[in-house]
Amino acid sequence: MTGIEAITAHNGWAISVVGVTIVFTGLTTLALIIAQLHKVLDLWDQRSQLWQNFKNRTATQTAPTYEINLNQDINEAARQFKMVVDRLGQPFALPKLLEFAENCGLYRPCSTLNILLQEKMITPDGKGYYLWTTDKESEA
Amino acid sequence: MENNTLISKEIKTMELFSTFDPEEIEQIVELMQPVKVTEGECLIQIGQTANLFYINLNAHFMISFKDGRAFTLHKKGDIIGMATMLAPYQYKGAAVALTNGDVLSINGDDFLRLIQSNTNIGDKIMQKIKMIFKDHPPKDEKEVP
Repeated sequence: MTGIEAITAHNGWAISVVGVTIVFTGLTTLALIIAQLHKVLDLWDQRSQLWQNFKNRTATQTAPTYEINLNQDINEAARQFKMVVDRLGQPFALPKLLEFAENCGLYRPCSTLNILLQEKMITPDGKGYYLWTTDKESEA
Repeated sequence: MENNTLISKEIKTMELFSTFDPEEIEQIVELMQPVKVTEGECLIQIGQTANLFYINLNAHFMISFKDGRAFTLHKKGDIIGMATMLAPYQYKGAAVALTNGDVLSINGDDFLRLIQSNTNIGDKIMQKIKMIFKDHPPKDEKEVP
């Protein structure tokens, strides 16, 4: 028995299909590995920097969190709030000021407003509205 | 239980409860729930049914009304949500937390039940509320948050 008959009799077709599949899969995998190899090499090149970043990240996570002291930025916060107050006019409604400050994207508007109230930069007018106290502003 | 001990320690230092006996304090503490508030959080809203009132521990609040008028609360023992005790039992003001902090919440119905069942507590509470309104009289009913 020779030729096609012999191939068929000894599962030649199935073996050839399996062989082609194995070769194709192997080559595809190899191509993918080679295509991504540059990333692995980049990581290897930057290994010291990556290790440093990882250490810093761990240190940041374990460090206790402190309340940000807004007093350091109180002058800047006062300046930004004053700009909003100028737009609103005096006396102004406190909720309106807070709303404007939020819309303007000012940093932590509620606690900043609280500090400005505590510092008496913003004072009640006795009728439920508020005034920007100019002398406090100049002191700041 | 430990929570209640901490709460009773806190409220004993408040002017509002200065005239209360330890047993009375204990009864009131049973009704209190500690609540954490975060900066910018709206604790109560205008028009909402007033079923809870709050006692400030260490937060700062802005109480605002429909017409834009507002006042701020900064002291321990300040009460938010007095409308819980006054008809028509609807908050007339909104309370926004200006800082992170803690408050104690009390269910108005439970509190009224306690006042009705214990006349001593009722009298003392009413005296205190009268004093609060005497010191800070509302210009109209809208000023009761």
